[in-house]
Amino acid sequence: MPRMPWLDAALAAGAVPASFVPDASGGRSEAEDPTGADVVEGTGLTTHALDGEPLAPSAVTFVDGIQRWAVVGYDGVVPLVSAYVAAGARRRMDGRLHTVAERSQRVIITAMRSLSATVRDALAGSGEELVDLKDEVPGQPGRTLTAIGVRVERLREAVERTVAEPVAERLPEDEWLVMDGILSNSPVLARHPRALGLIKSHGAQYFTGDDLKRALMLPEGHRTSVFEPHRHGSQAVHSWYVRIWPWEGHDLLYGLLRLEARAHPDSIARAGAISAWLVNERKPLATPDARFDRLLYPIHDVETYLRSRAPQYLVADPGSRLPKTGT
Amino acid sequence: MSVGRVVATELKPATPHQFLFWTARDTSIGIGAIVRVEDPADAGRVVFGVVTDAFAYSDLATPLHDVVSADGDPERAGTAPTMRQEIRLWTAAVLRQFPEDPLQPVPLGRVLVATDADVAAALRMDAYLTGATPTGIPVGLYTSGGLEAPVYLDSDFLLGPEAAHLNISGISGLATKTSAVEFLISSIFQHFPAHRGRVAAVCFNVKGPDLCFLDRPGDLQEEDRRRYERLGVRPEPFKRVRYFAPFKPDGVNLNTLRTHPDLVGDVDPLVWGLREALDFAEVLLNKDDIDAKADAFIDFLKDRVVGQPFDDGFGNQHQVETFADLDALFRAILRGVEDSGRGDMWRTHHVATIRKVRNRLSNISTRCKGLVTDDGAVGDLPWGAFEDRGVYVIDVANVDPLGQDLVFARVVSKLRERLEHRNLGVDVVTVFVDELNKYASGDGPETHVKRMLLDISERGRYLGLALFGAEQFRSQVHRRVVGNAGTQVFGRMDADELATPGYQVLSPATKIKLATLPIGELMIRHPHFTQPIFVRFPRPAVMRGRDGVERFPPAEDLPFEDAIVRQLMKLDRRLKPNVLKDLVASREQEDVRRALAAVRRTRPDDVLAFFRAALGNKVAAEVPRERRAVPPLSPISEEPY
Repeated sequence: MPRMPWLDAALAAGAVPASFVPDASGGRSEAEDPTGADVVEGTGLTTHALDGEPLAPSAVTFVDGIQRWAVVGYDGVVPLVSAYVAAGARRRMDGRLHTVAERSQRVIITAMRSLSATVRDALAGSGEELVDLKDEVPGQPGRTLTAIGVRVERLREAVERTVAEPVAERLPEDEWLVMDGILSNSPVLARHPRALGLIKSHGAQYFTGDDLKRALMLPEGHRTSVFEPHRHGSQAVHSWYVRIWPWEGHDLLYGLLRLEARAHPDSIARAGAISAWLVNERKPLATPDARFDRLLYPIHDVETYLRSRAPQYLVADPGSRLPKTGT
Repeated sequence: MSVGRVVATELKPATPHQFLFWTARDTSIGIGAIVRVEDPADAGRVVFGVVTDAFAYSDLATPLHDVVSADGDPERAGTAPTMRQEIRLWTAAVLRQFPEDPLQPVPLGRVLVATDADVAAALRMDAYLTGATPTGIPVGLYTSGGLEAPVYLDSDFLLGPEAAHLNISGISGLATKTSAVEFLISSIFQHFPAHRGRVAAVCFNVKGPDLCFLDRPGDLQEEDRRRYERLGVRPEPFKRVRYFAPFKPDGVNLNTLRTHPDLVGDVDPLVWGLREALDFAEVLLNKDDIDAKADAFIDFLKDRVVGQPFDDGFGNQHQVETFADLDALFRAILRGVEDSGRGDMWRTHHVATIRKVRNRLSNISTRCKGLVTDDGAVGDLPWGAFEDRGVYVIDVANVDPLGQDLVFARVVSKLRERLEHRNLGVDVVTVFVDELNKYASGDGPETHVKRMLLDISERGRYLGLALFGAEQFRSQVHRRVVGNAGTQVFGRMDADELATPGYQVLSPATKIKLATLPIGELMIRHPHFTQPIFVRFPRPAVMRGRDGVERFPPAEDLPFEDAIVRQLMKLDRRLKPNVLKDLVASREQEDVRRALAAVRRTRPDDVLAFFRAALGNKVAAEVPRERRAVPPLSPISEEPY
């Protein structure tokens, strides 16, 4: 672990060093409740074969973000967390990706009011960016850690928006932006004519019954009708499912993507072309990532880029669970 | 501007002798490129390395994933909208570190393409290119990344006394071994340090017309001229070249391809007599055949008989100068012993031994006809008068192996002897011998030539005698000949040869580069260079052998009389051919040859008069008188009783 002056100060003030990287620190979730949706293409949710001409943008910018956090100390039972979030935009031209924008943020996350005065003063005087869990009351660390995880995710989403929005605003006419995640959190992205959100996790449920069956049993190379999710984020968007790999022999969600585009008739008109384009994007495979059936290689590339620049001490060390001997 | 970055992992760490770095996909770096690494934490710390291997790979976890993403169709694999991330990873061997002590692992710093100054520093050339007495000899241009930096050899390590000898190997026709040596000798002549004295080269032409036109300008292209300029070498043929070749068995036509009428005048005959042959009797006589007794008798002849008045003990005085004189001595001894009836011994030597030696020695002039003569005529190298920057080409390409052995043995021995006594005329001599696979093979029989080459290799540097040897297969040349060569040069190599143990120190990439080297590029190992370096050299400024024979086609062998006339006119251009032809007409060829040899040996002012005198008067053949039958003094009676 690198030297962190703020942690040194906290330790000097009575905090105890710790080293704990939560298992879920690398992941993300589509943390949305079931909402339902209105089909905006045709009269009901149907499947469409992708037999049209795929969209062929001259260049595409892919945006993704990562989050890392670790408990590096405790003041009593209050965890002191070092967190890192970053987002990057890499533009693909002639098949090669180059970074056009990136941003990262390091913060200390803790429940300030639960800290001892000396540790609180040490952190306050450290000059580091502090995120205070104001609503958390001292208790089992597990609850606090869950809250910290959510807070880190929000930070990551914010960083992603700060990277993606300027890129989208200056996007040339014949270029597209593909965001890993939902668009509806950002007014700029949700209204952009050539921005696309790409969702790989399917926690949110928009359909029931036969419509759900049609959506989740979509054959390879097909898409659903375009629909508008209810109460989805803050901005209205159009969405549809696309199957890029056959799911048979795996599970229902294998190779299933949900796309988001601006809520506009153009999105309905181009849904087929956009879907066909994304089926083309399944090559090359985004291995060795286990999510390769839904993870497009360029998104994987952005993530790899960000990971390579992230602080390594926020990655779990296999030897870190060994008892600390004090030497 | 940096072109790469040093990377190190636990499995592939940077060490004091090797490191890895990556570059962009489009880079000027290649195998053999010299790079400079700067320590980000210490501005004074610099490491130079040479690229020895290269890797490229993508983030593809397994080839199967590529098949899957292309649906098993190779055509579709090329249509992926995104190209995988890939790396150009290079392995470099450390050439030099600054500071050199303490020796530490290469820092994980930025990598830059070497500059001219970097190349000089990396190859430790600064030690001999600067100072009061620089000793650098340009050998070629290091070319990489648009850079053309001259590479120099240290003459103290090329021609002695610190180290010496150069060995060059490679495929015939593609490795340009002869061209490289021609260029290097030219470079040596122009850059040999003045404080080291005078230098000359002796080149044995062992095949075709390779070295027969060193005094003629060759065709150079603009690229060659630019390289000459960059190297500081003047593109000009050798100014002082002398050619030597034995005669053909006819004793009058030279045994060389440089016989075009415009050029043959520069070729001196290489003809040796009894004394020269006897000094190297062990070369010419079969070791298995000549026992200690015969050896002792030959020594007796050399020490006590040849070149001095000698009494055979039977009342005959001898002055043995030629094979003919020697044979007369043998006849006298054998007749004397036989007539005396005193047994089988003559001066402690048994008659059988004498007969055996007579038989073997008498055969020499037959077996080496054209090189060794019966009559003691000598045409030899200018021992004691070697010229500074002179090239002495000895053409033995068409001489039989025994004759080649004799030429090698005698020339090298004389060089060594003269250099040892400092009376050769020059202080340093490079001896160029091609086809070491033949003359110094690792597994062939022990020959005198091999012993000579070993001797030069092992002791030559103290004398100023440097062997420049060339061969196709380095692995099959005697280990001590190759091992003693301080400078090793490699042209394009055969893959089988590269698979032999001697090349294990080279990386697979370096071997591939060697197997595909273009003409004009060489890999060099030199004592100052810690790693092999690739250089390009310009075409030599002399006419190539095959161009020479096209432009100056060898003359047909002349009839005996014409050949004699040409030889004599070479000595005196005022002579009239018709007069000479009349003089030799209907004379015994042996007498004419002997007279010509006498002229050549004596070099008289009046060539014609001397030749006429040496030829002697024509003796008219005597017709035997018819014998008449002589009647008996007393007729035989017809009476039966």
